[in-house]
Amino acid sequence: MRKFVGLWGVVTLLVLLHFLLHVGFGIDRGAPDLLTVALLLAAREVTAGTAAGMGFFFGLLEDAFSVLAFGANTLAMTVIGALGAVTRDFFVGESWMFHFLYLVLGKWLRDALFWVLAGPEVRGPAVRTLLVQAPLAAVYAAAVGLVLLILSQVWRGAEA
Amino acid sequence: MPAYAPESSDIGGRRQLGIAAGFVVLAILVSALPAPVQNTIAAGIRATFLRPFILTQEALTAARIRAIETEALQERVDSLLAVLTNQSMVVRENAELRATLGLRNRLGAEYRAADVVRPGTSGSESMFVVSLGERDGVQLNAPVLDHRGLVGVIREVRPTTAIGIDWTHPDFRASAMAWGIDAFGLLEPSREAFREADRLLLNGAPYNTELPEGTRILTSGLGGVYPRGIPIGVVRGTAEEEAGWRRSYWVEPSVHPGAVTHVLVRTNQLGGTDLTEYWDDQGRLIPITVDGDTVSGAGGGPATGPAGDAPGGAGDSTGGPGGTG
Repeated sequence: MRKFVGLWGVVTLLVLLHFLLHVGFGIDRGAPDLLTVALLLAAREVTAGTAAGMGFFFGLLEDAFSVLAFGANTLAMTVIGALGAVTRDFFVGESWMFHFLYLVLGKWLRDALFWVLAGPEVRGPAVRTLLVQAPLAAVYAAAVGLVLLILSQVWRGAEA
Repeated sequence: MPAYAPESSDIGGRRQLGIAAGFVVLAILVSALPAPVQNTIAAGIRATFLRPFILTQEALTAARIRAIETEALQERVDSLLAVLTNQSMVVRENAELRATLGLRNRLGAEYRAADVVRPGTSGSESMFVVSLGERDGVQLNAPVLDHRGLVGVIREVRPTTAIGIDWTHPDFRASAMAWGIDAFGLLEPSREAFREADRLLLNGAPYNTELPEGTRILTSGLGGVYPRGIPIGVVRGTAEEEAGWRRSYWVEPSVHPGAVTHVLVRTNQLGGTDLTEYWDDQGRLIPITVDGDTVSGAGGGPATGPAGDAPGGAGDSTGGPGGTG
């Protein structure tokens, strides 16, 4: 029960924080992509259908301000949610390094998918976007996600 | 760290993959929906799930404006003027707000002051939300400007807010004219490698009428969307020539959208007002008096170069080409 509450509590908190930082406070790239972090963390704990549904909903929220590329975030997040859940069948890891790499790759793949789906009017140059901006954003988001995982571990450990 | 287990059974796993594939198909369908339907969905999400966050940003902006406008704060600002001169950001924002409000006083009730907030999410580049909506008289395609010149145009109107695009948006177009020279053209954005370097391209200018660097570019009023005479930018060189019949010019915009926090939105689309007289020949707002103080368009964009040398003459508000308004 405590694990269940902890997971959804963290996911809800991350989603609220994401939109508070990006929309409420108007911080653009200075704030990490907590929406993707929340999706990737939850995808390791729920079924593939649920993770894809979460990704669909999160993507729609992100697309609410997108005029030229409406649907690109939705499709990218849905795919990432489904893939995140499927990774459990192929990769079982408990180390911090595994989770860090999982978050980095997940976030980078989400940005790469958005770049492909967004179309030429919205996306930036390929090299700068995919090899510079996206990796930096992925490391930033993964570092924040890792800190949250550690805090979550401490919180759950208090139960034992 | 929890141990992750695969799906408990093949049947359950296949069912979950089927559900996930269904969501992927649904997402593809969302991408393929007609634009009006997409806009309706986006507006619905903004009005429900994201409304608290939009309200938060509006509240923060409003609080900042109130703080600036409070009389007590104004007294403190006056007494601490020497200190504030070193705090250029605060001084500049104050000057811009006063200049924008001063411009609104001159333009009349047709133009209403509004705060600008930017979503800051993926895909929302070149868009902004203004704190005025249908209830305030804002209509589709209403021009948005500040004391430096044209910012953009309203593209979606909700009851209490409206969404606009600035001049960096790929869909932005404006009919333009050169100050003091009989030359008209169509402006469109030119996206550069770094968004800070975005600029405008003036297309369709006549070949035989060369525009020297520094020539001011204004709205012509020909398209029926923007009133005549709003500053847009300054010519910064020739971009392209097509033998014998037309030229294109790079235009450095007067307004950098990222720096805009307060704007004026036109609420009456019927008039054909000529706004040329409100800016001087260097693109600066002509000084006016607001609440007993003289304010001017401080930080008035790129018109610091040779714009004053452009044909048309200083202070000659009728020096521009004859437009239709």
